[in-house]
Amino acid sequence: MIEIKNVSKWYGSFQVLTKCSTSVKKGEVVVVCGPSGSGKSTLIKCVNALEPFQEGEVVIDGTSVGAAGTDLPRLRSKVGMVFQHFELFPHLSIIENLTLAQVKVLNRSAEAARDKGLALLERVGLTAHADKFPGQLSGGQQQRVAIARALAMDPMCMLFDEPTSALDPEMINEVLDVMVQLAQEGMTMMCVTHEMGFARKVAHRVIFMDKGEIVEDATKDDFFGKPRSERAVQFLSKILQH
Amino acid sequence: MIGNLDLSFFNWELVSNFLAKGFYFSIQLTLIAMAGGIVFGTALALCRLSGRPWLALPAATYVNTMRSIPLVMVILWFFLLIPLLIGRSMGAELSAIITFTLFEAAYYSEIMRAGIQSVARGQVYAGYALGLTYGQTMRLIVLPQAFRNMLPVLLTQTIILFQDTSLVYAIGAYDLLKGFEVAGKNFNRPVEAYLLAAVVYFVICFSLSSVVKKLQTRIAIIR
Ligand SMILES: Nc1ncnc2c1ncn2[C@@H]1O[C@H](COP(=O)(O)OP(=O)(O)OP(=O)(O)O)[C@@H](O)[C@H]1O
Ligand SMILES: [Mg+2]
Repeated sequence: MIEIKNVSKWYGSFQVLTKCSTSVKKGEVVVVCGPSGSGKSTLIKCVNALEPFQEGEVVIDGTSVGAAGTDLPRLRSKVGMVFQHFELFPHLSIIENLTLAQVKVLNRSAEAARDKGLALLERVGLTAHADKFPGQLSGGQQQRVAIARALAMDPMCMLFDEPTSALDPEMINEVLDVMVQLAQEGMTMMCVTHEMGFARKVAHRVIFMDKGEIVEDATKDDFFGKPRSERAVQFLSKILQH
Repeated sequence: MIGNLDLSFFNWELVSNFLAKGFYFSIQLTLIAMAGGIVFGTALALCRLSGRPWLALPAATYVNTMRSIPLVMVILWFFLLIPLLIGRSMGAELSAIITFTLFEAAYYSEIMRAGIQSVARGQVYAGYALGLTYGQTMRLIVLPQAFRNMLPVLLTQTIILFQDTSLVYAIGAYDLLKGFEVAGKNFNRPVEAYLLAAVVYFVICFSLSSVVKKLQTRIAIIR
């Protein structure tokens, strides 16, 4: 589904990603972790070409992301993305947030889009908030809306970039619950997160990044059982203390 | 009578015979220059932020040039040059409307540029990630937010624009100030007429400013 082959990226002379290679198969849940500044966000943004990269290739469902002539908006519409800071559109109501791209990108009728939006709001437990504005919702609620907004496009896979790290602790679980449910339904997911409980529960594989490199790429059991690199051991001991 | 001032000529006849026409033109000029200036200014701002030198450079040059020339000179030169270029005069009023639109666009452009930059980069990412094109992301996501964030500043600029419309005296267009001037001559009371003009401009601008202030606090609450 997602193939990342030897991707390297530089900001000026600073190398952010160094020959990153991995893949996410259909139905697979892959968790990406690593210290701050290790390039996790950059890597996941390369997957749907929100960030350009200079070397290597990313292929989604047979389409090369970086190739000239790729219809990027079309490709992105099939890849859902959830951001650390939600990025709901503050000038639109919750239901408008969910219907906008359905209508403008997928050319759905306003009515069909609204039905789809309401169904997804129900799924994340926020039907009552359909006509409110993002600023009137709590962080956890906003992030659930953001997930629903991505799902409204019927994506073939979902990317998450630290979806819970901007949330107050008591709101983390309501978001993780939605993600766990999604994973259990067989959604293909690539999640940057430090929620190791989530990784243990639903991940198939865990990727550990450091200084722009993929240091570990192992099945969940191998990763938690016997991480091979010194850096991964150190990192795990740090975050598992919390 | 106040001292030596005789304000007795200030009656309904003055308003309907001399001021209405000028007032109407001043408002028309302000509204058209505002709408046109914001549209053209937004286009200039988008060019400057496009990251493409062949768009950004001409736009920046235009904006900086307009902002370095006194408005009254632009009004005058446009009025004088156009007949030389197209062979006939387009009339002071139309000339003023075009000049103001072109001139104000430079100022509105700077406001819209700040507004666009005030919208978080993540909003653009979110638009793209949903499959929106650059144009759609700008039109549906970024510009509405930029516009809302900048509304008080845009309106303040419009109040300044309204005051500046009085500069069309330079080319003899019939605006509100001209109305007072002609009335002053007609009743042989020029000082009183200009005094009233000042009061009228003050009242209009002051009330508009108060509206903007109220708006500012309301927007602050919504955000
Ligand atoms: N636009 C940019 N220009 C220059 N350097 C950048 C830019 N964006 C990110 N970087 C650098 O690239 C590196 C990787 O950033 P990235 O955001 O991918 O890290 P991360 O692993 O997601 O970290 P975090 O856990 O803090 O989110 C960092 O050192 C960062 O400073
Ligand atoms: Mg990050």
